[in-house]
Amino acid sequence: MAKEAKFCPGCGHPIVLRFLHMILREKELESKAVLGLDIGCSLLAWDFLPVNTFQTHHGRVTSTMVGYKRAQPNSLSFAYTGDGGAYAIGMQSLMWAAIRNEPITVIVVNNSNYAMTGGQQAPTSFKGQITDTSPSGCGDEPVFGPELVRQVNKKAFIARTAVNDPKQVKEYLEKAIEAQQNGNFAMVEFLSYCPLNWKTVGIETNNYLNDNLKMLFPVGEF
Amino acid sequence: MMYKILLAGDGGQGIQTLSYLICNTAFKNGLEVSHIPNYGLEQKGGVSMAYIKISDKAITYPKFSKPDFLLIMSDQARDRTADYQQSGVEIIDIKDHVDFFKENNVEPYSRNIFFLSKISEMLEKQEIIKKQEIFEALEEKLSKKRGWEENHRVWNLA
Amino acid sequence: MSEKQRQFLTGAEVVVQACLDAGATQMYGYPITPGTEVLTGWINQVDKLEDKMYLQTEDEIAAGFAICGAVMGGKKAFTATAGPGTTLMQDAMSMADGMRLPFVAIIIQRGGPSSGTVIYSQQEVNLAIHGGNGEGMRLVYSPSNLEEMYELTRLTFNNAWKYRFPSVLLSDGFLMKTRQPVELNFEIENVEPTALVSPEVQKNIRNIYSFEEELRLELENQEKDFNKMAEEVTKSESYKVEDCDELIIAHGIVAGAVKEAIEELESQGKKVGLFRPITLSPFPKDELNKLAKQVKRLFVVESSMGQLRDLVKQNLDSKISIEIDGLYRPAVGIESEEIIKAINK
Repeated sequence: MAKEAKFCPGCGHPIVLRFLHMILREKELESKAVLGLDIGCSLLAWDFLPVNTFQTHHGRVTSTMVGYKRAQPNSLSFAYTGDGGAYAIGMQSLMWAAIRNEPITVIVVNNSNYAMTGGQQAPTSFKGQITDTSPSGCGDEPVFGPELVRQVNKKAFIARTAVNDPKQVKEYLEKAIEAQQNGNFAMVEFLSYCPLNWKTVGIETNNYLNDNLKMLFPVGEF
Repeated sequence: MMYKILLAGDGGQGIQTLSYLICNTAFKNGLEVSHIPNYGLEQKGGVSMAYIKISDKAITYPKFSKPDFLLIMSDQARDRTADYQQSGVEIIDIKDHVDFFKENNVEPYSRNIFFLSKISEMLEKQEIIKKQEIFEALEEKLSKKRGWEENHRVWNLA
Repeated sequence: MSEKQRQFLTGAEVVVQACLDAGATQMYGYPITPGTEVLTGWINQVDKLEDKMYLQTEDEIAAGFAICGAVMGGKKAFTATAGPGTTLMQDAMSMADGMRLPFVAIIIQRGGPSSGTVIYSQQEVNLAIHGGNGEGMRLVYSPSNLEEMYELTRLTFNNAWKYRFPSVLLSDGFLMKTRQPVELNFEIENVEPTALVSPEVQKNIRNIYSFEEELRLELENQEKDFNKMAEEVTKSESYKVEDCDELIIAHGIVAGAVKEAIEELESQGKKVGLFRPITLSPFPKDELNKLAKQVKRLFVVESSMGQLRDLVKQNLDSKISIEIDGLYRPAVGIESEEIIKAINK
């Protein structure tokens, strides 16, 4: 079973990862699964689950999994990344994997900041959000990843949910796996907790997710 | 024996095609030969050059700083090859044939054939390749294409 | 095809043939002159084949990382790139350095810095060897002619998969565009690829470490493995070095011009030899030092400002004190006449 988590207490990553593992076990897909990890907090998942994993570079997990899947077409290839890796440094590769309808599943964990480097402005930071690199408040509108990717791929499974909605987390992960099994690209964005950089405690973290992220980013399938 | 040829013209004038015909004929005759093209960034209209070496010994490097023979097929090719226009280099320059082309109605698209014929004649004189063999290579490449009659006439004109 | 057969091929055609014969099955690339002919040549060969594929990616970064993924999945994958593309490729090659991936890159040098020229140079030596962050260790071959390029391309794949270091066939725009008669040596046995990550074994592979001691241990092991590989793969050519007074050092196509020059110098009564590193990394250090002890002067000839010279200096025994001169012509070809003039000066 999973090893001790290296994520901060209250982090949203383990929720996504444990649901993913639960589904893989239920469907007996553990051995087929390969989890490529972007650099960022995602990298901490490298020995978290009893499935094949490898770390990549920041923003490059999608391209790496494109190659892996083409080498092992029978594998279940996951690109596991944060919002910075997906929508800033790795945007070009994400879009092109979607345009080509590469049969991989991209899991984006969106906590609206660069958490591993200590809380800088991310492509998903919302207008007015105070971060280390936006001390006067973020001046830009955030990137709406799933909405954007939908524009370039009509066949893909594309959705957004939040880690405090376990039923939907499970449902969308299952659908994203199915999409890959049917030969299509899939991407699910998970609105996620980051108590350390949000500087929230206990229920405040859940409130922050509901009051900020969920108010801004629509959940559902696109 | 080591014979060095530099062909220079505008992109689209057929410099690389001429080179291939010469080199492939040399290759088929069992000679050592190297061909290296050189051109600028333009897809059309830039200077196109071909460095050719033909020898009976192994060729270790395809370029040279002094050719035995230089073909100049355009004004910009003349400028580009200024360093190669040295004493002892046999040069055929298109500017010396302008009147001839006019008198004999040689269309621009056939002019490379005229020069190929000239070069072939020279290679035969040097006892490197027979002119007829290059003609056969040309015939194989162009005889089924449009304008062959005209090309054939121009070959013989030279 | 096992018989040697005389063919009239360009460098790009030779490389594509070598990749096919090496058992490569996947190419990922982005068009960039003078590397494009390898991409288009490969595509023309494999377009109709079931067991081989290609992907023209959105940029060299994606091509490089797709190769990383593909080789982890057990496929012989490669790219061909040049100039600014070589710069972008360093991102993925650095991951291959860190994770010991059998990454194969055909690098076709063009003029730099920046977009430079699309023609030729020997300015990507440093990038090929040390282009990543950290001191990634790579196998780098520099062929001097087309027949050798065929063999070294085959060896690049073989040794990448045998020793698991990123491996580079470092060529240039001149050699890639040169057409010459060749007799290729097909008698090379392929090293078979195996998946690094597969359903059969569960693996967790890192390239980032929590503690500096963990990384140090990894690097110590890498260095040990690299030195062991060096004993088996290091290659060089010594040409007319018996009793020579001066030793020219050159690599790649430039060494071809040096051979022409040596022939002429010989007829002038000069005793000049050539030392040509065939592996630029690992560098043929022992052979260099053996020869350096015998001669009065080392003379480096290269189409860069001194990247080969720096390698020579790095590898020269500190006890040997010898004059090092050179002819440095960044991003232009060097003809034998120029070399003769420089030696006689």
